[in-house]
Amino acid sequence: MTVAAEPHPWRVPPRWVLLVAVLSIVCAEVGGASMARFKVELTRWARDSMLARPAVHGLVGVRDVDERILDEALVKFDAGLRLFHMHAEGMGLVIIATTMVAATVARAGVARRVIIALLTTGGAGYPVGYLVWSALIPAYGLERAKTIAEWLVWIPFGSATIVALWWLTGLIALRMIRP
Amino acid sequence: MTRVMLTLLATLLAAPAAAHHVGAYVPKDNAVTINFKQVKFSVQARKFDVALRLFETGALRAEMRAHAATLPAGLEDGTRAALAASDGPEVERRLMIFFAALARDLALEADRRLAEAGGTAESRAATGRKFLEAIWRYYNLVDFAVATRDNKTSVAVRLAFDEAETYVKPATGAAAPADPARLRPPLQRIAQVLSTLIEASPTQARRDS
Repeated sequence: MTVAAEPHPWRVPPRWVLLVAVLSIVCAEVGGASMARFKVELTRWARDSMLARPAVHGLVGVRDVDERILDEALVKFDAGLRLFHMHAEGMGLVIIATTMVAATVARAGVARRVIIALLTTGGAGYPVGYLVWSALIPAYGLERAKTIAEWLVWIPFGSATIVALWWLTGLIALRMIRP
Repeated sequence: MTRVMLTLLATLLAAPAAAHHVGAYVPKDNAVTINFKQVKFSVQARKFDVALRLFETGALRAEMRAHAATLPAGLEDGTRAALAASDGPEVERRLMIFFAALARDLALEADRRLAEAGGTAESRAATGRKFLEAIWRYYNLVDFAVATRDNKTSVAVRLAFDEAETYVKPATGAAAPADPARLRPPLQRIAQVLSTLIEASPTQARRDS
């Protein structure tokens, strides 16, 4: 039995990319563990911070009204931490997979370096947006915190990943036409 | 041409990049509404001993005591007596009065807050919206009980509520912006209609003479 030689062996992405990806997964695990370990402390801190800023959260001083507002903010605060945990885990793997494809498919040069850089920074930065959102909710309220996280983290880093993925898609399609 | 391509690219990028999954919030019951449902379902299952225990140890009774000043006299004692006597309709009626009183107090408080000067139209509308949510959370629990006893009151409250909601909705598209100043009359109507319902519902133990 003969085994056909692999025409294009998989190339490993640069070490710094692997380091960032693994670091992202490590942060996700530490974040998840901390979230469970310090759940009460985190909730207490967020609640106290919100109660200290009634105007920001639209608290009116009537328990029947305020409890719903505080509950929603605390649920979203917790959701932000959970989403950071999940996205950082997932994006770590996405970085490894996509940069490996880029390293294999793209020819050495500026294009390959830029695609790998965009995939790595975008993939590692995007999940941090959830952490930022969560951390800002008690001080700035749900909507303002979301807007800040969007413009500071989600849109720039998310766009970097999307641009790089479309670029990579185009390159793969090109390689199919002109191997 | 390049500008068009760039604009198209920016639009294609911005749309997915701005769509983040941030979770969904489903409002939860509070301790009072949970205890109400426990008591109600126990009564419906004719488990009056369970209902009495849940009432005596739950948030419903604690809340009745906390609001004693604004509730009709004898409401708590009468509810307990009705549970002990396995009188389902009377338990339902007394709980209806209790939640109607809670909704009325919230409507009065909302009206008082909106009468105060200060704040932007947006923030006042947001406050009004939150009060309406709280009013509906309580009134919704007993609307059926109200409608079966006094359909006109039920319709009046729901109409006033619908009207109030239109004044606090955030502006979207062609819809008019929120107008919190017009929110007060429907709130006053809710409070007045519920007050009439509460006053028309006796809560003192009847004495046979």
